[in-house]
Amino acid sequence: MSLPALHVVRPKTVDEAVRVLAQHGPQAMILAGGTDLLPNLQMRLYAPQVLVALKEISGLRGARAAKDGALRIGALTTLSELLAEPVVRQKYAVLAKAAATVAGPLQRNMATLGGNLCLETRCRWYNQSHFWRQSLGGCLKKDGTVCHVAPGGKRCWAVWSGDTAPALLALDAEIEIAGPAGERRIPLESLYRNDGMNRIALQAGEILTAVLLPAAKAGWRGVYNKLRLRNSIDYPLAGVAVAMDVDGGGVCRDVRVAISAVNPAPLLVHQAGETLIGKKYSRELIERVAHAAIQRGKPLTTSGSTPVYRREMLELYTRRGLEEVWGGRTHSADRND
Amino acid sequence: MSTHSIIGKSIPLTDTPGKVTGLGIYANDIAVPGMLFGKILHSPHAHARIVRIDTSKAEAMPEVKAVATGRDTARPYGVLPIGHDENALAFDRARYIGDNIAAVAATSEEAAERAIELIEVEYEVLTAWTDPLVSMNAEKDWIHENRPHNIEKEYKHEFGNLEEGFAQAAFVREERYVAAEINHAAMEPHSTLAVWEPDGRITVHSSTQVPHYLHRTIADVLELPMSQVRVIKPMVGGGFGGKSEVIPLEVITPVLAKKARRPVKITYTREEVFYAHRGRPITIVDLKMGLTREGKISAVAARVIQDGGAFGGYGPVTVLYSGALLGALYDVRNLRFEGRRVLTNKPACGAMRGHGTVNVRFAFESLLDMLARDAQLDPAEVRRRNLLQAPCITVNGLRVTSYGLPECIEKAVERSGWREKNGKLPYGRGIGIACSHYVSGAANPIIRSNMPHTTVNMKIDRDAAVTVFTGASDIGQGSDTIQVQITAEVLGVRPERIKLVAADTELTPVDLGSYSSRVTFMAGNACLEAAKNMREQIFAAVAKKFGCAPEALEARHEEIFVKNDPAQRMPFDEAVVRAIDFHGTLVARGSYAPPEEARGGKFKGAGVGPSPSYSYGAQTAEVSVDPETGEVTIHRVVAAHDCGKALNPVSVDGQVIGSVYMGLGQAMQEQMEWNEGRLMNPSFLDYKIPTTLETPPIESIIVESEDPEGPFGAKEAGEGSLAAAIPAVANAIYDAVGVRITTLPLSREKILAAIREKRKREQAAGGSKKTGGAA
Amino acid sequence: MHRELIHLTVNGERYEVAVPPQKLLLDVLREDLGLTGAKRGCDDSSCGACTVLVDGLPVLACAAIASCHQEAQITTVEGLAAGGELTPVQVAYGEAGGSQCGFCTPGFMMTIHALLAQNPNPSDAEIREALSSNLCRCTGYMQIYEAIRLAMKRAQQPAEARS
Repeated sequence: MSLPALHVVRPKTVDEAVRVLAQHGPQAMILAGGTDLLPNLQMRLYAPQVLVALKEISGLRGARAAKDGALRIGALTTLSELLAEPVVRQKYAVLAKAAATVAGPLQRNMATLGGNLCLETRCRWYNQSHFWRQSLGGCLKKDGTVCHVAPGGKRCWAVWSGDTAPALLALDAEIEIAGPAGERRIPLESLYRNDGMNRIALQAGEILTAVLLPAAKAGWRGVYNKLRLRNSIDYPLAGVAVAMDVDGGGVCRDVRVAISAVNPAPLLVHQAGETLIGKKYSRELIERVAHAAIQRGKPLTTSGSTPVYRREMLELYTRRGLEEVWGGRTHSADRND
Repeated sequence: MSTHSIIGKSIPLTDTPGKVTGLGIYANDIAVPGMLFGKILHSPHAHARIVRIDTSKAEAMPEVKAVATGRDTARPYGVLPIGHDENALAFDRARYIGDNIAAVAATSEEAAERAIELIEVEYEVLTAWTDPLVSMNAEKDWIHENRPHNIEKEYKHEFGNLEEGFAQAAFVREERYVAAEINHAAMEPHSTLAVWEPDGRITVHSSTQVPHYLHRTIADVLELPMSQVRVIKPMVGGGFGGKSEVIPLEVITPVLAKKARRPVKITYTREEVFYAHRGRPITIVDLKMGLTREGKISAVAARVIQDGGAFGGYGPVTVLYSGALLGALYDVRNLRFEGRRVLTNKPACGAMRGHGTVNVRFAFESLLDMLARDAQLDPAEVRRRNLLQAPCITVNGLRVTSYGLPECIEKAVERSGWREKNGKLPYGRGIGIACSHYVSGAANPIIRSNMPHTTVNMKIDRDAAVTVFTGASDIGQGSDTIQVQITAEVLGVRPERIKLVAADTELTPVDLGSYSSRVTFMAGNACLEAAKNMREQIFAAVAKKFGCAPEALEARHEEIFVKNDPAQRMPFDEAVVRAIDFHGTLVARGSYAPPEEARGGKFKGAGVGPSPSYSYGAQTAEVSVDPETGEVTIHRVVAAHDCGKALNPVSVDGQVIGSVYMGLGQAMQEQMEWNEGRLMNPSFLDYKIPTTLETPPIESIIVESEDPEGPFGAKEAGEGSLAAAIPAVANAIYDAVGVRITTLPLSREKILAAIREKRKREQAAGGSKKTGGAA
Repeated sequence: MHRELIHLTVNGERYEVAVPPQKLLLDVLREDLGLTGAKRGCDDSSCGACTVLVDGLPVLACAAIASCHQEAQITTVEGLAAGGELTPVQVAYGEAGGSQCGFCTPGFMMTIHALLAQNPNPSDAEIREALSSNLCRCTGYMQIYEAIRLAMKRAQQPAEARS
């Protein structure tokens, strides 16, 4: 399959990119690593007239310390480059672990961190060829009026299927956005709209340029558990990121739990903090957070496996994640070697 | 021990250089001047009458050079002579989502895509039959008018005395097993290039396992004499059965080329490959088996329903195999089989590696495992107690000439540490065993005739190069290499001296194709005969020179010499020149047809199952099961396979390991997911063939029973080990956590649910045997 | 359709071709440059048959736009056997049975050569991980590992011991 006819613009600077994006408005789309966008374009999920390829913009790759001590990672840093950063592996375990589970090594050589944070939401009624979708009359998200996941509903449940976003939510990451009105810096959490149709809160002409990991989160214990049928290539069917700051006495000083692939957005499980901060390891408290995770996560038939099973694994992976960072127990849930 | 120079040696496949350098040419790599690109319009409906097709807008596009509809492909075809029920483009009715409605050829792929969008089709939607159990009771809207109630074929076979057999049993069990539908998922999507020659002939390059059947079908549908049609098989990127019958694009492309009077190429998208399908059907097996107190299988009764999809295809053969190969693995004297192939509004199923036998073998080996435990016997031991006494003829008329199963079981048990592990591993870890077998080619051809199943021609000229002309189709399994090895062995020359010309209907003799694991056995034997004929001619000339009898000569290491006077020797080149001086260019021919005795019984359906020889395999799998997730980790598979004689051991290992790999994919994770006739996962992202990370270490053990009729004793290696992989894992899961999963795939969801149910049952009963502490 | 003149450096050679600006690198290699080694096995960047090296890094040519790779050094499978001599991995592949149908082989070749260039002595686990984006339907991967180990072993032996 080929791509639809369009123009490819290759700006050299962020300003130039913003200008082109603003000029073309909704007719333009951003191309970073291409591993999500290009297959989607081959399926005719979008019909942009212009692709703005960010690849040639310098200065958007690599990690370095920002003024406030945060680690600033350029949005065009590939996931392989991210994984090769010693500081990420040593200080931000949950991110390293999550990034290592994204697709497979070839995709990670191309996919960028910024792209992974701006992934299109996915649904098995949507991520299909033009012919396939047409044979069904389309769906709410594209070319149709009916949601095949929740017929009768007016909301799109296409699912957030990224792995690094929950990890970064668990680290209270912020993002830098460049746009026609200049730069802004917002918490990553506020990027996500939890709407399958309109997943992220980037305005016309805006580009995600960097991710900032707060210094305060450096050294937190972290783990990411991902449900998938194959240990490579696959998008998540459920994902749980857990990050915790534990003091010498085993008391939880601070904690974040974020879930993915079960809602149209990656979501923090806010009860984790309320339940665990200031407490010593307790199986019962962990159960409570795991339970909170499945109150928050709403898996539907957007994806493979079954909603029931994904929900159960969401609970189990939350429990296992917390057991690992807090109780020191590890499970080989995700790897068979 | 071996007296062979090249047979039994692991020489690299002769086409490896082309593969590793990227210079090898597959169908979609070919481009010719003036070539057009074809695209196919597919049906959005599972079942609909085509009321009207308007192609005028597409035809009006300047880039469009031909448009075809069902009217251009009105002559139906099908791989079996009894089942010509397919039109390459739907004639009046669409029978599945993805069915082929119209096609265009245009000057670019992009223009062809646009043209397809301009074709208007009016449909009248009919009832779609997508569930086989519902479909077989349909009272209207039958998928083919001449197949009442959507039943393609039904068979009932009974051998021995079932009542007596079950009466002798101390243990009887009956279970239903259901297998999901799976696809071959060969890495190469189908591709066909049809070149309309200026003299009115047509040349078709196609990714096919069966050039001969394609040759016949194109001639028939295009109403050309076969002499005007040439089919060439370039390198083929895997088949596994998915290219073993004529696939719609292989007819559509030449039809477009004929209309456009230009070369046309069509390459399927991955999604279209799933619509062309021909894979393993959804199979429902109701299996009943009796076991005596001594562990002898006393009776087997199987009822099999296969969900065939919209066309017959190989279907009747598939269902017959599932019955016939209940025999010839173990000594079963009382056997009943009822098989039914049902049509549904989905892509047609067909032949896939282990054709017809795999899902039934999953059922059989699972149930036998249960019965072994009922009888408190080691599952490996039960299998040993049911061995055939070969050579023999089974109760259903299959002739077994060589039988390495005992050694396979022994070696798999030995290597896997079975005795130390069976039933002794801690909760959560287990080991399972299963056996399987397969034909070395079908003894009866699809198209009944007395024609040899394969012929090989050979030529040597003054350059002393040996050219082998074979119709056999190498689709990656290495059959070209095997024929080179056989020829080199017989003529006593280096393999490099041999040039193989294969699978080009203009140059090579007829071979029935690469399916049913027939090529090494049949083309191998033909090649052997041709090479021997060739050698006779050379020996005759050399014998004259040495003044000895031709029988006194031997050919080896590029020389011909007198066996008991090795000082009398002559280089191969010189011998060839001498022989040519007598005869002119040396030519030889060999052919193969299975012997009369191998062709089976006389009852209806007896034609499927008989083979000149059967391969055997025994396999163990060791697994862990996470009782909280149901996730299975396979640690190791040991597969012992009796291939008669390993002509090329590395290649045999590759075939065995590859079979096991494919079996594990079906066991654990592959399935075509249907929603009202719509395939939900027509892509490699969603159809989950295993990556390196799910694939466990697979160890192959070669067992050589030396078949009396196989070339150098060889029989099949490429399919027989697939079937055992699935029940070996299922049985290992039972050993690990005590649950029986009776439906494929053996998914985490099912395993977890079964573990919970078992726990509930045990808690209700107030005790437990093997239950884990976790969760 | 609108075309754009682009420059590509493939296997050390500079090419100039006029292609639609959105054309995928895979399609330009196969259709415009006649380098048909890289294969298309899927349509959703999930099989690895199209793997090529971009500045030494293995990537999927089906998820890359050619016009965005004009500055890069691209290597395809055709560029491995410099001067026609097979690399140790290519030789070992034949001996160990790494290829059956061969359709995935060009992709594996690129991933394996990149792996060994970066890490001449990878562990079994590292090999499995590095190869986990490349699907092979024939071999069950075992003989591919075999081939890699064989090539690694030879690379560690002195040259004269090899002949």
